[in-house]
Formats: sequence, structure tokens, C-alpha cells
Amino acid sequence: MNIIEIKDLSFSYQDEIQALSNVNLSVKKGEWISILGHNGSGKSTLSKLIIGLLKADSGKILVDGVILNEESVHDIRRKIGIVFQNPDNQFVGVTVEDDIAFGMENLCFQQSEIIEKIKEYSKKVDMSDYLKKEPHALSGGQKQRVAIAGILAMKTDIIIFDEATSMLDPKGRASIMEYIKEIKKAGVTVITITHDMKEAVLSDRIVILKEGRVIACGETNDILNDKETLNSSNLELLLPLKLQYLLDEANISNDKVKDILWQLSLNK
Amino acid sequence: MKNIIIGQFIPGTSFLYKMDPRSKIIALMLLMVSTFILSSVSHILIMLGVVLVILKIGGIPVTRIARGLKPIMILLLFTFTFQIIFIKTGNLVFDTDLTLTYITLPIILLIVIFWYFTKRYTRFKFLYLLITVFGILTLLSLYNPGSIISSSHLEIYQDGLEGAFFIMIRLIIIVTLSTILTLTTKPTDLNLGLEKILKPLGIIRINAEEIAMIISIALRYIPTLLDEANKIMLAQASRGVDFSEGKFKDKIMQIISLLVPMFIISFKRSDDLANAMEARSFVPGKRRTRLHTLSWHNIDTSVIVFCVLVLASVITVRIML
Repeated sequence: MNIIEIKDLSFSYQDEIQALSNVNLSVKKGEWISILGHNGSGKSTLSKLIIGLLKADSGKILVDGVILNEESVHDIRRKIGIVFQNPDNQFVGVTVEDDIAFGMENLCFQQSEIIEKIKEYSKKVDMSDYLKKEPHALSGGQKQRVAIAGILAMKTDIIIFDEATSMLDPKGRASIMEYIKEIKKAGVTVITITHDMKEAVLSDRIVILKEGRVIACGETNDILNDKETLNSSNLELLLPLKLQYLLDEANISNDKVKDILWQLSLNK
Repeated sequence: MKNIIIGQFIPGTSFLYKMDPRSKIIALMLLMVSTFILSSVSHILIMLGVVLVILKIGGIPVTRIARGLKPIMILLLFTFTFQIIFIKTGNLVFDTDLTLTYITLPIILLIVIFWYFTKRYTRFKFLYLLITVFGILTLLSLYNPGSIISSSHLEIYQDGLEGAFFIMIRLIIIVTLSTILTLTTKPTDLNLGLEKILKPLGIIRINAEEIAMIISIALRYIPTLLDEANKIMLAQASRGVDFSEGKFKDKIMQIISLLVPMFIISFKRSDDLANAMEARSFVPGKRRTRLHTLSWHNIDTSVIVFCVLVLASVITVRIML
């Protein structure tokens, strides 16, 4: 079943550069899909359109069977959580617990329930020792974990990670990826928006955007085998993938590589 | 920049810390109104006594209050001087000639220059200033030979003296009371208390919750923006901007080189924050529940009753006398 359905979506900013043109996309319930693209490919614009922060010029978006429009936008936002790129600019609360509570306060949860959920979800992202801490005492990775806890507590069906790891150090990045895997396991639909192929290969499906158009969409393995599309996408390729392509170009078969490697290790 | 503390909150355990911020704000208002209604020196001294007792029981060190008074020192001195000079009713207490001659003028200038260059070496700057002013006045009031430039009288009347004293005590009481509030209440609690108190303003379409949300976001972003300003200053310094020296014109250019990036960053930040808040289902003006709520205790009721009694007695005294 498709939880998000995007049909012929087009959008341009005021400067009239077409940010997205005729995007068609469907996201299945419970899957992890990556939207991969270079800077300026329109991937963040797409996430803002899905959650109704921007209004599309044409085309439509269906979330859980409901068309996104001015009346339904608040209900749809209850179903979608989004973790943004900058850890500092999405931290609303004065302390960690305030920030986790913010979304639940907006959804009018009871106070006792809020307290209970703060405990539960701060433990889930390993932030339970920091509940009274202020944001400037936290690292970027910790702030992103707080943001994740806040969204998990709202019990959304879909979570979008809009370049959520791009401003973090490698350690913070790795921990966030672990949490994404867990979230996916719990049955939540995950959409990661990234320019990093290393992150995208972990997902079930990959959509590649280039200059506002979908140039490829499919299972992760199929996309990785599609050499032509990947080369035309201007993306930084993974090292193993790059090696594979170079070997192919030089007409060196995998068996030959194996032999050479054996030789090298024996000579050493 | 990791340890910025906003507000002056100092942790403690006295009754002031057990009170609800709402009752503290209301009590502050009541006591302030009482202070303004009082009209004689003896009554305001009693009020000062009450405030000192609150300080004592509340376990607030007087040194912290003194630090709170420091910024208004100039204002106090200013009003004090004006009251003394311009009120000319009541008994004449003090009268002296002030004569400026061609001999005293350079001496006074020398004293001022001496004071200006030596003041940094003394620990009691304020006392040193007073001594200097007093010295100059004494010099002026002596008979000086030489041709006279100007001559005037310094007359101090009883009413002027009393008025000056009265206003000074009143200002000190008011500043002390508000310092007590900020010393014993966390900024976030204060904000929540204000929100609840301002709630009735909803009738005239002032949304207290929105105001409180703005204040809380401001509180949250002050350290972040300070951090940012620091970074920009370092970045500009590494490109050759010297923030500590330069002429007035250069200073303005330096401030612009700090302000422009700060503004751009702040707009970008607020845009991102607005998106993040909306994405988490925030709708301005819509009802929301709260993680932190306030609870009213017996101590709050008794403090409010006490303050109402103070106000009532002050009004009675004012009407009777």
C-alpha cells in the first residue's frame, strides 16, 4: 500500500527557476526510501512540499489517501515528522525535555502522558541523562537525537530525515543511522534525503533527483547496477562502485582481480 | 561560550523559592504600589525595614542586591542632586558662597585632571569621586583673591534634603524588590508566570501565550546568537578587522561588519525555526497543553494576604494623615 503518492508535482521559487518539474513518486508503507541528489537538485524542496511548508504550483500529493490542501495540512502534519539539517535551528525548547515535549504539547497530550513519553523516548535515543540540559551544552548529534525523540513521541507514521546527518561529525552520523534502522524496524516509513550515497545504500529503494527531475527510481541494488544513470547524476560515487566501474572500463574480469590480489599477498 | 547564564537566578531553599512565580509577581506589584503611595520619610523607612526583613528571611545576600543597585547609581545621584538644588522650600539648612576666580579655575582644572588620571588606581572609585567633588566645593566656598569670574550661592533647604532622601529610598526599594524576584525565579518560570497573569488580556486580543512563546524562544537563542557573534568577530578579526581600537568612524564600520552577517544569520535561523515548529504541528493561537504547570501553595496565599494587608494599611495611613 502506498502511504505517499506524488503525482506530476511541479514547483518553482519566486526567482522562477524550476525547482521541481513533473515529479512522480510513490512511497510504500513501512519502507525506507532515499531521495538522493546533488545540491540544488530539489530534494529539500520536495520534503517541504510533502509536509505542506511550501505550496505546489501544480500536481498533487496524497498522504495516506488524503489529498494535501489547506484544510488537510494540519492532519497530515500529524502523520509526518521531519528532522531538519541544522541541529540548532530546530531546537525549540529551553531544555531537552521541553524540546521533546514541544510536539506533544501542540497535539494537546495530557501532562502525565507527556512526562511518561519523555522518559520512554529519551531512553530510546540515549538522552535520558540530559533531560534538564540546555541546547548549548549538547553536541550536534545529541541535538539531532533529541529532535528524533520529539518526533517519535508524536507517533507519526512517516519520518523524513532532511539531510539530518550532514552537519554532524562521523560519530554522530553513525549513531543517527543506527536509530534510523531501528525506527524502520519498528514499522515507521522512513524517507531519508541525502547527497551521500553511503547513507542511501542502506535503504530499500533509491530515488535520484537531478535538476528537479526524477532520473532514476528503483530497488537499491538495481540503482547501483545502473552505471549510466549514476554517472550522469553528478553524485560522488562510493569507492567500491568507482573501482568496479574502472575495472569494467579496463576490461579486467573479477577472476583476474582475484588472481592479482593473491599474487600481491604472496609476494609480500 | 558554553556557560552563559541568562538572568541572575541563584539557587536556594528559602520560602521565596517555594513560591509560585504568579504569586511572586503579584506580591511584587502590590508592594511596589504601596511604595508609591507612601508619602513621608518615616513611613518609607518602615517600608525599607520590611524589605530588609524579607531579604533576611529569604536568605538573599545583601551584596547581590548591591550589585543590582549599581547600574542605577548614576540615576540615584542625578535625582538626589536635582532635588537638593531645585527645591527651595522649608528651612534653610546650609548656605555657602561659591566664587570662581582666575586663581581657583586652574586649580580646579588641575584637580579634575589629577582625579581623571589617578582614579583607576584606587579601589573605591565612587568614594574618590565624592571626595574630589567635596574638595572642589570647599575650595569654591573659601574666599579667594583675584578677579571674580562668577559668583553664586549653594543653598540647601530642608524639604529638598528630605525629598532627595525620600526619592532615593523609594528607588532603592523598588529595585531591590524586582531584584529579589529575578534572583529567586528561573527565567523560564518567570515567563510561565507572566503568561498566566497576562492571560485575561486575551479579551483585548493580546495573546499571552504567543508573547510567552516569543520570550522563551528569545531565551533559548540568546546563547546561540552570542556564540555566533563571537564566531563572526573571530572571522572578521582574522581578516584584519580590529574591534578594540580605531576612530569613531572605523568603529561604526566594524559594528556594521558584525551586524550585517548577524542579521542575515538570524533571519535564516528564524525561517528554519518557523519551519521546524510548523512541522511539529505548532499553530499560533491554538490551544496547547503544557509540560510544566504551576501549582499554588498555602505559602502563596499567605504572602499575597500579607502584601494586601500592607497595601491596605498604606492606603489607610495615606487617607488618615
